[in-house]
Amino acid sequence: MAVELSPKMQAFTQEVFPAIIGTNRKDGSVEIVPVWFEQKDGIFWINGGTNRGWFKHLERDPRITLLLIDPKEMFRWAQIEGRMVNWTEDPGGEHINQLSHRYLKKDYQGPRTGRIKIQIEPLRVTGAIDGRR
Amino acid sequence: MAGAKKAAALSPAVRKLAALPILVMIATKRDDGSVQLNPVWFELKDGFVWLNSNTKRAWPKNLQRDRELTMLLVDPKVPDRYAQIRGRLVSLIPDPKAEFIDRLSHRYTGKKFRELEPGEHRVTFKIQPVTVTGQMI
Repeated sequence: MAVELSPKMQAFTQEVFPAIIGTNRKDGSVEIVPVWFEQKDGIFWINGGTNRGWFKHLERDPRITLLLIDPKEMFRWAQIEGRMVNWTEDPGGEHINQLSHRYLKKDYQGPRTGRIKIQIEPLRVTGAIDGRR
Repeated sequence: MAGAKKAAALSPAVRKLAALPILVMIATKRDDGSVQLNPVWFELKDGFVWLNSNTKRAWPKNLQRDRELTMLLVDPKVPDRYAQIRGRLVSLIPDPKAEFIDRLSHRYTGKKFRELEPGEHRVTFKIQPVTVTGQMI
């Protein structure tokens, strides 16, 4: 069941830095990469392409862990264990453009075709923001 | 990971990044197979990544069970420049006098580490980089 984010986490997730996501490879190892994200109404959204390694991992095993960390003050961090509940096409790259505005304050410069948006439900939150390790 | 686990040589760009007092993000697996991510202190020395923890935390337990982990270094100035390093645990070295954690503490804070708590046991992990991928290659 999805967990509700605390007010502190609500505020922290509005700050602008990439999320570091961890997914399970087929061989049992973990892939970690930084990606753009946004949090809306308690749900996390990331954007990618169906050819990305991490998306292929999620199709096989929907569990995903997000690490949010303030790059300027790295003791401010939170870990979110979640799962992919849905993914849809991102027609016209509307969502990636929205993320581009969040991160770069301008239109997305890359290709806007073939993109998808991924919906992630948080199941557990730990880390320094909520003070739970 | 199948096949021979040869050590990977880290590029000058990765070594330069690792020399900064940034945290490394480490990914280990819980016993249910889910991914645990933690930012931790580290040092790159003699081609190995060195980590230290008390023995009660979850990630050192995960690491001792699987003997492998994935690490991510992110350039603090350019967040889409990163290096993902898969590594394997080659040895576990008790740190009873907190010498290594003091060394790490100096790297990050310029000061000695705090006094150990009663019953706190520190241990140092020697990690061999196996593969390196990411935007910095």
